[in-house]
Amino acid sequence: MFERFAKDAAKVVHDAVEEAAALGSPTIEAEHLLLAIAGGRHGGATFLLEDAGLDADALMAALEREHELSLAAAGVAIGDFELPATPPRPRRTPSFATSSKRALERALKVAVANHSRRVGALHLLVGVLRAEFGTVPRALAGAEVDRIALATRAERMLG
Amino acid sequence: MTDTLPDLPADPADGLAAVVALRRLADRLEDAGVERALADGWTWEQMSEALGVTRQAVHKKHAKRLAGSGLAATRRKR
Repeated sequence: MFERFAKDAAKVVHDAVEEAAALGSPTIEAEHLLLAIAGGRHGGATFLLEDAGLDADALMAALEREHELSLAAAGVAIGDFELPATPPRPRRTPSFATSSKRALERALKVAVANHSRRVGALHLLVGVLRAEFGTVPRALAGAEVDRIALATRAERMLG
Repeated sequence: MTDTLPDLPADPADGLAAVVALRRLADRLEDAGVERALADGWTWEQMSEALGVTRQAVHKKHAKRLAGSGLAATRRKR
């Protein structure tokens, strides 16, 4: 799959692995791809997120808020637990979870539909944004970011 | 008593997101708990019994992560 990735997309994936590891996550999730796009210099993809008010810090805050709200729905307050401030070291190199695999698959489909020979960072952004369920759409909705409009803008930039 | 219990979220999406959040929290609690147990001198055997999983499972999940952290479990019973 990755052999079809352009340099910028390969960098996003590489950074996503680092994001997941730095956060102590045993898996690479779709939100780590999005964090990688927001936190890097990936041209149009990073610009679109910034333009929607989502720099790396804002996105992280939105993700943390979604985590807290979802715990609260189960009657759990994160503040009830004394957790280490620094994330734990990852158990091993994080592996791709279903959410990130689906995002990569969608990105590939978008590239094929656009007759692009390579998958770029913008394709990846569309792949992540087009998820209907899961942490990313919930976090973006919570941050009042219009996910569909953002995905549509990204698709238009692809031509 | 029932009126003190929280309602299940009406929207299934909220309920399923709560499951995801709880799993992540459980993972973090396990990481922190295992570290604390190791610091207190617990063996992998004791941790596995407390967690209800095999010793191999606890070891596989945490030994590499904690290697070089100065924490080391012994195989012997305390």
